Amino acid sequence: MDDSNNPAKNNRGLYLDPRTKILFLITITTFALGGAGGRRVEMLAPVLCMVPFLLLITAKRFKTALVGIILLFASSILLEFANKINMSGLLYYLVLGSFGILSRFLPCIMMGRYLMESTTVSEFNAAMKKLHISDKVIIPLSVMFRFFPTVMDEAESIGWAMKMRGISLGGKHASKIIEYRMVPFMTCCVNIGEELSAAALTRGLGGEVKRTNICKIGFRLQDYFSVALCLIPWILLIMDVVK
Amino acid sequence: MIKFENVNFKYARSKDASLNNVSLKIKKGETVLICGESGCGKTTLVRMINGLIPHYYEGEMSGKVYLNGEETSKRMLYETAKTVGSVFQNPKSQFFCVDSRSELAFGPENMGINEEEILKRIDKTVSSMNINSLMDRNIFAMSGGEKQKIACASVDTLSPKVCVLDEPSSNLSLEAIEDLKETLLMWKKEGKTIIVSEHRLYWLKDICDRVICLNNGEIIFDMPMKKFKNLPDLKLREYGLRSVNENLSMTPLKSDLNNKDYITFENFNYSYKNFDVLHIDKLEIPRNEVIAIVGPNGAGKSTFSKCICGLMKGFKGTAHIGGKKYKGKKLLQKSYMVMQDVNHQLFCETVLDEITLGMDELNEKKITNILNKLGLKSLSKRHPMSLSGGQKQRVAVASALLCDKEIILFDEPTSGLDFYNMEKVANLIGLLRGKKTVFIVTHDPDLIRRCATVVLHLEKGHIVNSNIIGVRKEYEKEEEEYYGAAVSLCRQS
Repeated sequence: MDDSNNPAKNNRGLYLDPRTKILFLITITTFALGGAGGRRVEMLAPVLCMVPFLLLITAKRFKTALVGIILLFASSILLEFANKINMSGLLYYLVLGSFGILSRFLPCIMMGRYLMESTTVSEFNAAMKKLHISDKVIIPLSVMFRFFPTVMDEAESIGWAMKMRGISLGGKHASKIIEYRMVPFMTCCVNIGEELSAAALTRGLGGEVKRTNICKIGFRLQDYFSVALCLIPWILLIMDVVK
Repeated sequence: MIKFENVNFKYARSKDASLNNVSLKIKKGETVLICGESGCGKTTLVRMINGLIPHYYEGEMSGKVYLNGEETSKRMLYETAKTVGSVFQNPKSQFFCVDSRSELAFGPENMGINEEEILKRIDKTVSSMNINSLMDRNIFAMSGGEKQKIACASVDTLSPKVCVLDEPSSNLSLEAIEDLKETLLMWKKEGKTIIVSEHRLYWLKDICDRVICLNNGEIIFDMPMKKFKNLPDLKLREYGLRSVNENLSMTPLKSDLNNKDYITFENFNYSYKNFDVLHIDKLEIPRNEVIAIVGPNGAGKSTFSKCICGLMKGFKGTAHIGGKKYKGKKLLQKSYMVMQDVNHQLFCETVLDEITLGMDELNEKKITNILNKLGLKSLSKRHPMSLSGGQKQRVAVASALLCDKEIILFDEPTSGLDFYNMEKVANLIGLLRGKKTVFIVTHDPDLIRRCATVVLHLEKGHIVNSNIIGVRKEYEKEEEEYYGAAVSLCRQS
């Protein structure tokens, strides 16, 4: 397993409260991906789009951040260019389809990735608890956090097994490639899931007492700034609607 | 402390009973070893103590299990969890958090213990188990031994009165087993009641005071360790048990090499994030022999095996086989790994489809031949996922044989196997000798003595010792004796 997925040991850079990160994620998806708010927010969207990359830079993930920024800029310049020369027809649709989607989705995916990588399970739980969300929602979500690296591990091993059998896109069995990947994948995930829940139950998960959490989270100066930044587009949106 | 009264149990989707009229009493502070061949009901017994049966695994149960005077079936699981801590076989599926500190806190957090107390307990566990170096790390990046240590530590923070361990050493190297042994001795000193179900018995002879052996869900003997230790190995084989006084030396089988042909590996270097994982400039290995790769966790065994299979990205090493030079993708076509979790490599709907998947042209005769040889003939229409572990392993080997692979690699093929099944794997590997070059990554000295002809000892990415054709003196004779006994028993049954 790659060490970069280790929130505990990694340099996490700027410390943000998990709640702030979630707010960022929601804001970016609403305004950069969803394009809500119309003209007023349009100016702010690029700023929001840059947020995940800045956060990645503070976490010393220079390569990922750089590639992301280049992709984002390249696609927006290309779109601009396409509009300028009045490109039309199939080519325009292709450019608009692929790069338009890329430039809109990329910041959101990056933000989600940063959220997953920089937050430990217990921080996430603590944040959810502070938002007064029920345990019935928190536990499945935290299991998802836990399951993500497992799923990657399993998928990697299955990929190796397929390579050794010569099942690849260029190979003979290309048409069945998804089936061959999914069958063992599902079996392994189900097995692990079953063992995992048994282990969790023997350690007292699901009791009636209120769970404690030893993780300390809280808002700091940078969180207030970030929240302020996120609030601007929301206020603009509300003003728009009220008017 | 624990009392079983005429307990019967049958899993929901199985025909045979897992436990048959079991009655036993375990006193407070006792340390009990539960042994027996695979499928004898060990795991079922353990699951009844920690309450997973009947609360999690469904089936028909009769009789009563008491824990501390209370019936487990009437107590909720989280109540039982306060008294019983469990460590399971598979290190990768028993931790719940991603980082080690939260993992240790997980149990006490569930109990609603206050924060200060939890922190105090974690500090105590960390110092008593000496795991400071493992704290605040990603558990996914740990070795099997380290994961198992974290599993024990997270049981320790709950400070239960009873600890049950279900085949905890299956995936561990000899070194890691020593660490586990120390933890158990510490718990024993603290007066905890310990129940261990195991196949590898040697490391428990100084820990457990009492041995219970199961067969087909029934207790066949229950004796003090003092007496059990002195049972002759022949007697143990009758029950499908491994030796108590296991010979831990990794000596290969004594035999003549088949031929003078060699495979030469060159430039087997691999580094990950500027850290040398593997560093072998040149290595000559006799072709068509069985080569065991041994060494502690993190020695580079799995990197080495992935390199042989051509699975590592950016790996530049080459292999010379029969005058031809192979590297990268070509190596991938020549080699096949039978993974530890065989489920990763079974893709098709029937065994027949599965083994013919990689073939260029269908050759009926060849297929029947191999099916017969591996005893898969009657299973050829079955779904691979419905087979037992050993059968799945054989299906994987069959598919490698039909693809004309030159090198077959086994990744810990005997972890968690009893004596008979281990012997079966050894025979299977023995079948391949002389036709294919077989590598086995293993921690199992028993297996090595039965089928390996070369032992490569890896440490920190270097070969520290290669033992080609070892010398066995007394053991050789002994082994023949056991083997004879096992064979005659198989015939009887």
